[in-house]
Amino acid sequence: MSIKSVMSALVIPRAIWHNASAFLSLGVLLLLWEGLAHYINIDGFPLASEALLQVPVILREREALISIGASLWRMFLGGALALMIAVPVGLTMGRNQRTAQALSPVLTLIYPIPKAALMPIIMLWFGIGDLSKVLVIFVGVSLPLIYHSYHGAQSVDEKLLWSAMAMGMKPVERLFRVVLPSALPEVLLGCRVGLAMALIVMIASEMIARQSGAGELLFNALDMALYTDVYAIIIILAGIGFLLDWVFERIRSRLVHWAEIRQDAVVPRGRA
Amino acid sequence: MIALFRTLKCLICISLLATSLSVFAEVPTIRVGWTIPAEEAKYWMMKRPEAFPDLNKKYRIEWVQFQGTAPMVQAMLSEALDCSSQAPLSLAQGAVESDLQGYILAQHVSEKPGAFSVYWAVKEDSPIKQITDLKGKTVGVNVYGSGVYGGMATLLKNNGIDPERDIRLVETGFPGSEAALRTGRVDAGVFVQPFATRAEAKGGIRKIFELSDLMPNTVHIIEVCKKSWVDAHPELATYYTRDLVNAMHMALKQREETIKVVSEVTRAPATALEPYLLKANDFAHDPNMRPDFSAIQTMFDMYHALGMLKKPLKVDQFRHDRIVAPLK
Repeated sequence: MSIKSVMSALVIPRAIWHNASAFLSLGVLLLLWEGLAHYINIDGFPLASEALLQVPVILREREALISIGASLWRMFLGGALALMIAVPVGLTMGRNQRTAQALSPVLTLIYPIPKAALMPIIMLWFGIGDLSKVLVIFVGVSLPLIYHSYHGAQSVDEKLLWSAMAMGMKPVERLFRVVLPSALPEVLLGCRVGLAMALIVMIASEMIARQSGAGELLFNALDMALYTDVYAIIIILAGIGFLLDWVFERIRSRLVHWAEIRQDAVVPRGRA
Repeated sequence: MIALFRTLKCLICISLLATSLSVFAEVPTIRVGWTIPAEEAKYWMMKRPEAFPDLNKKYRIEWVQFQGTAPMVQAMLSEALDCSSQAPLSLAQGAVESDLQGYILAQHVSEKPGAFSVYWAVKEDSPIKQITDLKGKTVGVNVYGSGVYGGMATLLKNNGIDPERDIRLVETGFPGSEAALRTGRVDAGVFVQPFATRAEAKGGIRKIFELSDLMPNTVHIIEVCKKSWVDAHPELATYYTRDLVNAMHMALKQREETIKVVSEVTRAPATALEPYLLKANDFAHDPNMRPDFSAIQTMFDMYHALGMLKKPLKVDQFRHDRIVAPLK
């Protein structure tokens, strides 16, 4: 039997084990939840089974779907704006020391602020409509994007840039045709962090002023002490987060498969 | 990547265009803040707009929901809202602290003899029998410094208990009050509907005092519009106030439909609303939504005496000579 066939035989059980362990940990969590809820027996902590059964009930409601869709649309707009602005800013910072020196203190100051805390200020300036919510999502997503784009751009192979310069490329052209592709694995890592951040900020942005949105569903259920609904909505949000991350990971691995191959090639040698 | 950026640009432009187009809509829009529960008239206007001939024809409403009345004061001060539901204390604090100027156009809910009154309850087997037994105990309240807290603090004072020193105060919120009481986090918990009915149905709790022990007509929620907005748009304020009153009439006349409406807004199942909504164990709903200015003045005076308002306040400054419920 060749080494290759032994490796492929090992890979399949590993994949199965990976999926099985994921389901197992989820099952253990749900069992713990169920047992603890039985033991504590208060309204504020419903059974896992009750919350899970409420999920399809909520997803069958047209208004609930519209609300979730409205939140996701705002999340998309905020994320798209961040992608268009934060990535070039981060890349420029990574390649231009003066820009980095100018912006770093500001970003360092903003980074630890809970983005939901900005909501009242943004509301004062931009009103209580969608614009404020989109902006707060934009801020939340921008910071990890800038950070990762900055580090990605910093690690670009200088020889590539010299070659591009020798070929007569202008700075902006170099940024998008050399720096961006080279930094793409790191930028996409920032996108992944930003995605999780967008989901968090999306809900937090609807805490103070609510129109149509997933946050409205969640906080209304809390206001009415509909705790089964509260947990069901949290499960739905977790599901959305998981799905978005899964889809994003598929896209990311297609876009930067070359980088992963390079990493895979390095790891076994290191281990050996 | 460039194609992706182009697509994103297009989508953002389309959405911004859609937003800007809505700005040019001809029908004037009133920006109204609301909260849950106990605003049945607004819920009717939200969910059954076709029942109101002027709504969406002579004026539109942009509804924005808030958690509690205090953030709506800030939203009105920052010109983000034209009208909102208010508790008398939030309005008073907005006026005293930030010079909020507004008119009380209608009253949503209040207390009256025979109707529901906000109450504090203990566990059935608790040694606490009356309000004076609360000395040294842990007492729950929805929000520290709220109107409900003001009423409770005055009642405690009237019974020889210093609300600042003699009790431990815990913010439980209304929804979390029952759990806080049953799990022993508080010795006495505060109850409003629909949580009171739910807790009573389960049993094991005992009422010890209520706000009606202090005054029989506590006002809970009023409709306030900004003075500058009403002065600039008296006809819109008139349409809005008239429709609020119409909505209250509909809500009271068609209870079954009101339960459906409230259920749609709050997601609470109809079975949870049926035992109390618009019944004798609910807050009092005046069909004419006429504000009880005298009761509001009494509450302002009480809040001032407690130190919750820095200076005395006259309710007359919130009274419009013409636009106030009921409007014919």
